[in-house]
Amino acid sequence: MTRLKIAATALLLAGAFGSAAAQTNKPADIGFGIFTFTSGPAAAYGMPGRNAAELVIKQINASGGIGGVPVKPIYVDEGQGSAGVIAEFRRLASDSTNEVMIAALSSANCLALAPVAEQLQMPTFMWNCDTHQLFLKDRYKYVYRTNSSTVPEFIADVLYLLSVKPDFKKVAIIDPDYAFGRDAGLIFKETLKALKPDAEIVVELYPKLGSPSYNTEISRLVSAEPDVIFSNFWGADLENFVRQAAPRELFTRSTVILALGESALQHVGTVLPDGVIVGVIGDGYWLTPDAQRKPQTKAFVESYRQSFNEYPVFPSFKMANTLYAVKAVYEKAIATNKGRWPTRDDLVAAAKDLKVDTLTGTLVLREDNDGLVDQIVGVTKKDPAYPFPVMGEMVRYPATMVTPPVGADPIAWIKDLKPAIMASVPKPGSYK
Amino acid sequence: MIANYLPLIVDGLADAALIFFVAVGLTLVFSVVRILNVAHGSFYAFGAYLSVVIGTIFAGRGWPLLSLTALVISPLLVALAFGPLIERTLLRWTYGRPEALQILVTFGLFLVLEDLQKLVFGVQPYSQDLPMQLLGTSRIGGIVYLNYQLLLIVLALVVGVSLRLLLKKSRIGKSISAVVADEELARTIGIDAPRVFMLAFSVGVFLAALGGALASPTIGVAPGLGAEIIVLAFAVAAIGGLGQIEGAALASILIGFTRVAAIYFAPEFQPVVPYLVMVAVLIVRPYGLFGSIGLRRI
Repeated sequence: MTRLKIAATALLLAGAFGSAAAQTNKPADIGFGIFTFTSGPAAAYGMPGRNAAELVIKQINASGGIGGVPVKPIYVDEGQGSAGVIAEFRRLASDSTNEVMIAALSSANCLALAPVAEQLQMPTFMWNCDTHQLFLKDRYKYVYRTNSSTVPEFIADVLYLLSVKPDFKKVAIIDPDYAFGRDAGLIFKETLKALKPDAEIVVELYPKLGSPSYNTEISRLVSAEPDVIFSNFWGADLENFVRQAAPRELFTRSTVILALGESALQHVGTVLPDGVIVGVIGDGYWLTPDAQRKPQTKAFVESYRQSFNEYPVFPSFKMANTLYAVKAVYEKAIATNKGRWPTRDDLVAAAKDLKVDTLTGTLVLREDNDGLVDQIVGVTKKDPAYPFPVMGEMVRYPATMVTPPVGADPIAWIKDLKPAIMASVPKPGSYK
Repeated sequence: MIANYLPLIVDGLADAALIFFVAVGLTLVFSVVRILNVAHGSFYAFGAYLSVVIGTIFAGRGWPLLSLTALVISPLLVALAFGPLIERTLLRWTYGRPEALQILVTFGLFLVLEDLQKLVFGVQPYSQDLPMQLLGTSRIGGIVYLNYQLLLIVLALVVGVSLRLLLKKSRIGKSISAVVADEELARTIGIDAPRVFMLAFSVGVFLAALGGALASPTIGVAPGLGAEIIVLAFAVAAIGGLGQIEGAALASILIGFTRVAAIYFAPEFQPVVPYLVMVAVLIVRPYGLFGSIGLRRI
């Protein structure tokens, strides 16, 4: 009789737990595929992203994971080339324990992965996909961009330039020769045409991505005697360019805009003079007033510095903010499901119109899956507190001011911009 | 008038100088051991990496001037470590075998060396520009140039002339020339041909590594460096005529100037210009500018 009671109790308990498990269906852990460059020249930009991912995931898991489930990152090196990246994406997506992809760093990889993500119905959050071409022609259900696009990023640079140096004439452009560089050149030129029609492009150079030397390009730029030079070099390309151009007086002869310059300040910034315009393509700078006010951000910065012996750069914040956004997506989906573990479809539905407080500001995921993020631009400025220049005279351009509305053709929208906009834009140094 | 073109000339010569170091090593190895060494670019990369590492150590210890010596120490170390070992073990086995097999062997070696490079130096980019900073700058045609760039032009000239003198005047040079002209006859008069092969291959490795070491202060050193330079070196060797030192020099200048001219006047053509020049030359002279079908000489 006793044995019968024990068996009955065991059956009841099994039923109860089984039912609970079926109801919540929580996995043992959540696999996140995280794509970034950890090798080659692009690693100078990609590793800060990976470092941030390690820290944030450690912090999320230490505080109980997402919905009580720990996150298990699987890192994929984009340095292996697009074919390898796509193969890795497919392999990870075929494993049901991998629920989300955080991909990718390279614009070329983003454009290649977006249709694959859609085909495999894999929720994919593009942590560093800035090319405006991502959502230009295709509409995606499973692909979101958790940062801004090239359009607001480079419009912000032009607005800043026009604020600090309205009387220039000759402009030169040097960008890497691939989607991101070509997009930047186009957007910069179109914005100039709209807001400063008398500006003349005297040189346009697009050296190969990953080029080890820019010595001839530097001679060409100097010989054209431009008033302004724009570049969206990044990673080791940016560091090489700065290192090679600074002793040849490029930064003192012209007003130079390094659209992604903040990411190189700690490594090569000491050779830069004050007054070089630098951007962070987004709002991810650790010394902004907002970042300095948030205890969570200060803790992240300190933890990053202790772990990696340097301060986080904006790619670190793009990754960190994306991970916190994905966590918010899960929490919203779980709450909507009343505790049941979300499916892939539940996740992408929860991401729609999500507004997240990030480490450095606010991220809004619009109805077209694109991200809305403010843009911060400033100039290099020596600060005795640090052995490298920091950003001074900062401006925080509201995302809605510099981002084309949903459904608008970005380039047509830029062409419609009027010089009168300069009267309403925030002035350099206004972000305090 | 000439002042307007001065920057173009200086840039062209500086570009040509860096290409020459690698191309002349490739062509020397081909002329002596008759192997088109696909792994030649890997020695360039090793020279660059080692130079940056040694230079950084010197700089870190407060000996900035010694970082200049790293530019010579590193290619010597690369040549000593790889030259005799690879020639004695791998290449010697391929002598007299079909050319396709030789190329496959050196391609395999290239892949092994690329991975070895990643194992030793990792996959992160390196840089060490102290030698460049130490030498200061000069103004030519209104443009500031690094004196280091100008030094490269002089060094390329010195290396080219020294190599020619070595082959013409020295005992070992004459032995190399004899082996190139007729290996069998050279052996009969007592020349140690296997030793000549090893020496010539090691000098080729040294020149490739020297090119990498000298380029390292002005570039970023990262995986893929070797593959990039070897393609260019092949184009230069083909234009000049495989096995021809003067041909390599002239072809380097031709490629250097056309690359620079493309950046100045038609930037979109810059990546393909070396290969367009190669095709144009080979259509007119299938054995290159200095090459010939029958005669073997260096």
